[in-house]
Amino acid sequence: MRIMFINNQGAGYANYVQIADNTTIQQFFAIKMQDQQEADYLIRVNRMPVPKDYVLQDGDRVTITPVKIEGAQPVLLEQIV
Amino acid sequence: MKKQKKLIRLTTLLWDSLKRLNRSRLKQIQTVMDDFSDKCLETTKDSHLFNTAVEKGWLIGAESIRSKIERNLNEFSHHLQRFKELINSDESISPNFIDIFGELLQIEQEFGKLNIDFKEKTISVITEDIVLNDFSFGPFEIRLFINQIKKLYNDSPYRIIAIEPNPAGNNSDVTHPHVSGEKLCEGEGHVAIRAAIEQGRFNDFFTLVKSILQTYNPDSAYINLDDWEGRGCYDCGDTISADESYYCEKCDREYCGNCATYCKVCDTTVCLGCSIECPDCKRSICTDCTNTCLECERRFCEDCLNKEGLCEDCEAERIENEEQHSEKIDAEV
Repeated sequence: MRIMFINNQGAGYANYVQIADNTTIQQFFAIKMQDQQEADYLIRVNRMPVPKDYVLQDGDRVTITPVKIEGAQPVLLEQIV
Repeated sequence: MKKQKKLIRLTTLLWDSLKRLNRSRLKQIQTVMDDFSDKCLETTKDSHLFNTAVEKGWLIGAESIRSKIERNLNEFSHHLQRFKELINSDESISPNFIDIFGELLQIEQEFGKLNIDFKEKTISVITEDIVLNDFSFGPFEIRLFINQIKKLYNDSPYRIIAIEPNPAGNNSDVTHPHVSGEKLCEGEGHVAIRAAIEQGRFNDFFTLVKSILQTYNPDSAYINLDDWEGRGCYDCGDTISADESYYCEKCDREYCGNCATYCKVCDTTVCLGCSIECPDCKRSICTDCTNTCLECERRFCEDCLNKEGLCEDCEAERIENEEQHSEKIDAEV
């Protein structure tokens, strides 16, 4: 099945991904955010917080946002465009 | 019902703004595409010229065209790379009206309240108190200017406003280690913030900004927390704590120990600019405790001028002159 995954870590990746049936949000986090701690992220499914054992459904929208991001001197836009 | 109408009106505004942003991005792609196209045309022309030169046996001309193509190749690959990057970034997911409406509802859930100002065309949220390494900076308002979203690629469309400011001691513009003049140094969050705005994920935008405000990066802060409460020496700019600062009573400014002294006559603390070194006794003295030598017009401390207002050198010179004068008169007599 296919879900929308928005990863706000790094470049702010947003795209559809294929996952196996009966994947829980905890399993999904472990796969996509390897070696990361759940406590360091805001995890939302369809804009709502969900329990760890929530089983993802086809068409769900998963957002993972770090709660801590290091600010620094601005990066020139030309370096990114 | 009134609230729903307000949110629908706001959604329309944001949606229009994103469409304008998208148009500006497409225009940028068009510009780069035109550049790339010009380069291709140039190569085609060079190819025809090269072919003609070789066919006619103009070997020097062919060689010259070859070196021109060689020079152009580097430029060409730069244009190709830039073109590819822009075309690839076109994969962003365009939000629809319902998505944006959902974002606004989510902001209210996550932040408690979404402030809307239709007159100024802004939306904002207020964070809880931001505390970094036991320093409290109070809550911040993250204010997004809807009309400026279209300028996303050139300027930041939002401001970070301290509600209960606790600015750095030596720069009142710095209200957070990563905020100066209401602008956030986004650091690692820069690309994600831009993507969130481009894709109309406004809740993610506010959350990302909040995440940066909640994080302290000492390696790239405007002012480190260790120096936060210090004030700047007016002369050299060094950060000074309240205990180490010296107040110049003449110019009403604060200085560090290296840039301040005290008047050896009246014991007043003064900065180096408001004091001089007496040319005679070499003591530092404030400008109020100096007097001008009536002869040479240099400034001395009061103790180094005689009753007639002359410095030691001028007094000696006068005595010498007087002696010479009396010797001359004696000789004439």
